Amino acid sequence: MARRIIQIDLNRVEGDLDFQLELEDNKVVDARCIGSLYRGFEQILVSRKPKDSLVITPRICGICGTAQLNAAVLALEHIGRIPVPPTAIRIRNLCLMAETVQSDLRQSFMFFTADFCHSKYVDRPFYDKARAAFLPFKGSVHRGALEYSRHIVEIIALFGGQWPHSSYMLPGGVTTPASSRHIIDSLSILNKLTRWFEQAIIGTDLNAWLALQSADEFFTWLTAKDTHADSAIGLFTLMSRDIGLHNTGFGTPHMISYGAYDDPDDADTFPPHRKHLFRAGFLNGDTGDIEPFEQAEITEHVRYSWFQPYQGGRHPFQGQTIPDYQPHSDRYTWCKAPRYQDKVVQTGPLADALIDGEPLIRSLYQAEGGNAWLRQFARLHRTARLLHKMRETLRELAAQPNAPHMIPPNDKEIPDGEGFGLVTAARGALGHWLQITDGVISRYQVVTPTAWNASPKDSEGRHGHWESSLIGLTVDDPDDPVEIGHIIRSHDPCLVCTVHLLDTGKRITVWP
Amino acid sequence: MGMRNIVCFGNELHGDDGFGIRVYAQLCRLTWPNDVEVFNAGIAGLNALRFLEDCSQAILVDALANFGNVGEVILLRPEDLADRPGQLTGHGLGLPYLLEALKVIREPLPDILIAGVEIAALKPFSPGLSDKTERAVAKTVQMIRGLLSE
Repeated sequence: MARRIIQIDLNRVEGDLDFQLELEDNKVVDARCIGSLYRGFEQILVSRKPKDSLVITPRICGICGTAQLNAAVLALEHIGRIPVPPTAIRIRNLCLMAETVQSDLRQSFMFFTADFCHSKYVDRPFYDKARAAFLPFKGSVHRGALEYSRHIVEIIALFGGQWPHSSYMLPGGVTTPASSRHIIDSLSILNKLTRWFEQAIIGTDLNAWLALQSADEFFTWLTAKDTHADSAIGLFTLMSRDIGLHNTGFGTPHMISYGAYDDPDDADTFPPHRKHLFRAGFLNGDTGDIEPFEQAEITEHVRYSWFQPYQGGRHPFQGQTIPDYQPHSDRYTWCKAPRYQDKVVQTGPLADALIDGEPLIRSLYQAEGGNAWLRQFARLHRTARLLHKMRETLRELAAQPNAPHMIPPNDKEIPDGEGFGLVTAARGALGHWLQITDGVISRYQVVTPTAWNASPKDSEGRHGHWESSLIGLTVDDPDDPVEIGHIIRSHDPCLVCTVHLLDTGKRITVWP
Repeated sequence: MGMRNIVCFGNELHGDDGFGIRVYAQLCRLTWPNDVEVFNAGIAGLNALRFLEDCSQAILVDALANFGNVGEVILLRPEDLADRPGQLTGHGLGLPYLLEALKVIREPLPDILIAGVEIAALKPFSPGLSDKTERAVAKTVQMIRGLLSE
């Protein structure tokens, strides 16, 4: 039996991500997902004043800085029981949605669909159309995504002064009111993107697309008109299914969602009990039931990570992040292994839609399971929902032109105590856990969506979600394993600014 | 006559990858004509398109790999990067990707030059330049002054 180890760079994302795979006769028998950079943000925050987190944590990521800021401010408001006016919640939501829309469009059409242009698919029936649409810098959809996605975050710059790495959310609200000028400018940006999305991506009106409620309705829609089949989502679906992406890349059946976007109508309720516009929950893959989400069920393991060891898993409030690089041991990553109810879980737009009960995604999931195509489809479906929700949010802001955007907290300082902020970033569940002692941060733990999905093995030796989604996969050509690229990119990988430290194994870059 | 932008790239935390940022710091100490603006693009990736949208001329400053001898100051045109789809150095998607993206959002392109130094290697989390790269900073600043005074 031929056994070989290959190592894959997936550096079409902003940072580097390494996978080390063991193949037997072209079948993946073991997988190690390697986060190759220690960041140290949690240590940087210790001993600082609590509100420093509002400046430092948005620097964690150049893509999801708004989500980091939102999680940080919610944690502070949780500790201080600080009320926030509905307008501030709407502005926060609007900005977070804008950031997610940009990320989803770029991930879909600048990264994921580029793999369809691989020469392996030259004889496939949709290849020529796929190249015309998705070829980097040449294809119409790739070019459109590049042009239209870059303007949507200007909405964040309007309200936050800059993007990325902005710090405009403060305990009690946001720094800028929703002036009529900001609302009009935001609507103009949104309208432009929505028009392109309707014309190029879904080939139909946004409301008509969102009215599709079941797998049958969707597949009927897909073949009803040429404009549907030739739309980006139509072509993406036909190509994905032609090459079998609906039969692969399942990973763990367990999913979590922290819920997305605080409900401004529930502004009087303090986090973490405030309702969300999209529901939180845990999809138990064994029973198929959606259970209430409880953050106390989260633990992180370090058995296979380059951190000072501890037994089993720890909740973030007992979390410990002490780097301990051991390159020649069986430890292999700077990521910890988060678990929920001691289970391996996945997070992201598929999990969010299923847990929220979105009917089309749920119907497709019931028909075929959580495969690589559906994971990516759910991401694009979310874009449609968010474009619709952003318009609604702007309308609500316009209806209350003089509503307060900030309730100044009674106390200047955040009191000692502990709190957490949970949000849905573009890639899924993001949480900040914060403890304050004697007026300064005594512990800060961040669990990112990629930490959940790119998790290494845990104390029980159970693989993380990405790893398990690859094990069992057969690749046609180990020297050019494009199948692996499809599956990994369906998870929307993000490990920012990593640097390779590995020195063994063959390296292969997955590139179209 | 449009603006002439100098856009410097790099990561100061990664040894010689911080070359562009060292050049940026030196450029900021000089007086420039009103039509010249200097930008620190850091590791902005595609977000650096903003710095190239409206100018008529741009000089991009970055660390280079496999273009010359270590420490050598090199001036390139975009076509010199045409057969290099990957990264020049270590950050983000690299200048070739950025320039391809620029072609999508504006036509015609500004007149672009790339000024850089051939570096020996990236050193993760080792702030400060190696001697040869440090010596190239002044040469590069001088070259950029010359280019913009023509």
